[in-house]
Amino acid sequence: MHHPCKMWAKTVTENFAKVIHGLNANQLTDQVIQRSKRMILDTLGVGLLGTSTEVCHKVAQYSKIYSSDLSSTIWGHLDFQLPPLYAAFVNGVAVHSMDFDDTWHPATHPSGVVLPAVIALSEAFPQKKKISGLDLLLAFNVGIEVQGRLLHFSREARNIPKRFHPPAVVGTMGSAAACAKLLALDQLECKNALAIAASYAGAPLANAATQIKPLHVGNAAKHGLEAACLALQGLQGNQQILDMESGMGAFYTDYNPQALPTLQSYPWLLDQQDVAIKRFPAHLATHWVADAASSVRRKLVENSENSLPLDKIEKVILKVPEVKYVNRPSPASEHEARHSFQFVACSALLDGSMSVQSFTSENIHRPALWELLCKTQLEHPPDNTPSFDSLYCQVTVTLQDGNTISDCCTTFYGHWRKPLKKEDLEKKFQSNALGILPTEAVEGIIETVYNLEKVEDCSVLSTFLSGQSARALTEKLRFL
Amino acid sequence: MIVGPQVVARSAPEDTVTGSFASFISAARAEHLSQTVRQRSKRMILDSLGVGLVGSTTRVFDIALRYCRLYSSVAVSSVYGKPGVKLSPTLAAFTNGVATHSMDFDDTWHPATHPSGAVLPALLAASQMLPQNTKPSGLDFLLAFNVGLEVQGRLMHFSTEAHDIPKRFHPPSVVGTLGSAAATAKLLSLSSAQCCHALGIAASLAGAPMANAATQAKPLHVGNATRLGLEAALLAARGMEASPLILDDIPGCSGFSAFYGVYQPKPLPAPGQQDHQFLLEKQDIAFKRFPAHLGMHWVVDAALSVRNLFVNYAGSFSPALIRSILLKIPVSKYINRPFPSSEHQARHSFQFNACAALLDGEVGLGSFSESSIQRQELRELLGKVVVEHPEDNVANFDKMYGEVALLLHTGDVLTGKCDTFYGHWRKPLSKESLLKKFRSNASHVLPEEKVEAIIALVDNLEDLSDSSQLACSL
Repeated sequence: MHHPCKMWAKTVTENFAKVIHGLNANQLTDQVIQRSKRMILDTLGVGLLGTSTEVCHKVAQYSKIYSSDLSSTIWGHLDFQLPPLYAAFVNGVAVHSMDFDDTWHPATHPSGVVLPAVIALSEAFPQKKKISGLDLLLAFNVGIEVQGRLLHFSREARNIPKRFHPPAVVGTMGSAAACAKLLALDQLECKNALAIAASYAGAPLANAATQIKPLHVGNAAKHGLEAACLALQGLQGNQQILDMESGMGAFYTDYNPQALPTLQSYPWLLDQQDVAIKRFPAHLATHWVADAASSVRRKLVENSENSLPLDKIEKVILKVPEVKYVNRPSPASEHEARHSFQFVACSALLDGSMSVQSFTSENIHRPALWELLCKTQLEHPPDNTPSFDSLYCQVTVTLQDGNTISDCCTTFYGHWRKPLKKEDLEKKFQSNALGILPTEAVEGIIETVYNLEKVEDCSVLSTFLSGQSARALTEKLRFL
Repeated sequence: MIVGPQVVARSAPEDTVTGSFASFISAARAEHLSQTVRQRSKRMILDSLGVGLVGSTTRVFDIALRYCRLYSSVAVSSVYGKPGVKLSPTLAAFTNGVATHSMDFDDTWHPATHPSGAVLPALLAASQMLPQNTKPSGLDFLLAFNVGLEVQGRLMHFSTEAHDIPKRFHPPSVVGTLGSAAATAKLLSLSSAQCCHALGIAASLAGAPMANAATQAKPLHVGNATRLGLEAALLAARGMEASPLILDDIPGCSGFSAFYGVYQPKPLPAPGQQDHQFLLEKQDIAFKRFPAHLGMHWVVDAALSVRNLFVNYAGSFSPALIRSILLKIPVSKYINRPFPSSEHQARHSFQFNACAALLDGEVGLGSFSESSIQRQELRELLGKVVVEHPEDNVANFDKMYGEVALLLHTGDVLTGKCDTFYGHWRKPLSKESLLKKFRSNASHVLPEEKVEAIIALVDNLEDLSDSSQLACSL
């Protein structure tokens, strides 16, 4: 950074905040006042005139939707609903709130940006129009596919991101595509949905590991839905949005768009490349570390009369790929802890495994954990590429007597090369849902999803999600 | 280098990648789903639901939810030109922001962005949101507005890329979002830490690609900038936290730098001290005289000048005497359109604006109507246009010029050149001209008393005790 003047705050960002906060009316000069009032007046006039335009009519029509009775379920809440746009937003935030959602290759979180949008939308159709489970499943897959294809347009996308957070880029597009599908938009409208969505896409990576990260997914879901709705109203964008460097290309330094294969026996990406499902709520890269660390702990305990010789540990070395935003030696919040190789390694060493509980405030601030953290270092072997398809993690514990115990994980359980078994996927779901929904609803959702393509009316899914008593619903659970 | 008139080649929909995606989306059917795909996607759905349910117990979820619940029934904010209609604050900001940029008639600054449309609608909407006993005064409002401008201006100085007409991201969608967040944060009197988070949250809502300029979607860039900036500030007010280093340059993990290739952030001097001066003090704004991209204004003034010469020469404007029209303009792809086919394209076409000025002796609202765009005489004139990009004509609103030369069949050449159009910051609109523009615009939708009332309110803004009156008067 080059700045000649003194910095009166530690960072540029803090400095901006201080200025925004600290400026007061006394500092406005006459010239500034005069000029800005001219600007205000001109802008009002221009805006008033602009209300007579077609584009403005469309967005006003669209916005009025939100003062009507249209509303959608907030997962886990029976007490109230929200307009579909905000239901998609809130549920999307929920999905990514703990970094517990699925990850694909090339890297993005594909489901959280699509599912909340399509479910919210499915509830907003007029009464007579039933959306079947198969409609939902198709729309969902269209959204996933579009994301995957877009990720293949750039070599940058193969590695863990550095600039833009992928869900905010391709996720918005995926949500738009999925919603366009569910709304049965025609081809021109689908194109416009994509074009409009592009203007909502993109969020910088620096907000990962902060509280705002979940909003990347929530906003992707919401904005994709909005784009599709605007396209339905007839709004038009650039018809070559995916082709142009100044279109989707704006988000990448190397950009090579390719056309999709023909529909004849369409080769879905999901067929060739599965997702990874997380076993605990933290960044995917930490899952390799957790498996390796748990294994090291087992060996340590075996060798030391079945207890963990904490004070005999001299050093913990983690051989990991270089991923700056997951390298946090002393995480202070849950969001940081979820993005810390070091934290997960030490946690797993202490407890033997990772869970939702590992990230509670008490657990994050345990003295025993902090002692271990102080002894932990990272190493970045050049052959450890920052790609979810090829990275590995090696955990080596060196004891005071010079002995070392080591384990290396190349594929953790839950990765696409070693997918979770059906029972374990269900167990994760039950464990997550049981605190929020009654048992019948939990089991109802499992059954509905497993038979999704046969479900006549997918609103049954929303009803379960809201926590309504399932007993009233058994007759609604009708399969074709 | 002379470039001859170009034939507009329209790609067939199937030829474009975008078209292939659109086709896929609309044509995909359930039968196309393989077993594996069905099974895998159902696993994903189940997992996603569970994760979402447990996620509803988090603090971030709480904040997002409380924020959204505001909108169940809070339609308190006015919409330009629709006295009976109220919308929730962010949607009102959105709608009004779209209105502001809908015709490309709004102000432009240097470095290039449309600063006011990104800030004003958010402030108007927010002023109506606040309870009666905490309404900001007119001076508070004016201050917040200027904070929003200042932040935008400062951010644009972080990259040399920003000095030229943009190519990748549309500036209002980048700096405008943060400007709106800053302005709203100021109006809401957020703490310094909250202002910081508002900027961070806004960054995750910023950025729209240039490709949508010259389309109907472009106005959304300003609408969303102002709406999402407002949203960011409201979220920050409720305790949402983002990266505290969002504007700083952290190699390997981009913050705001994500939007630029070259990025050198600089701190803002403390307000009230010797070395702080509002950017608006030194660098005024350009107001448009007609609703088209700023670049068009040079070319129109040059065209009007050469038209005068021509009328003196020939007695009247006779297109038949013209062999070709040479335009000397800077290089900028999205405003170089030989045969625009929509109003949005016409507003972003050097060629169109030059010809409209030549034909009609002026360019105004009516020039961009469908019938005006499709006129035979205009299309014929467009066919005579030839474009040149002199090296000294830089794509920069501070340095560019427009030159229009008429090459007549007689061999004579008449030339008009414009370095600084009337309305540019070097030659600002007079008070009368600005009021004329406002009255002409506002009277399309409001009766005279209301039009004059708004003029009075803005003129005396610093003395107003309740600034929400401005929003209520629309």
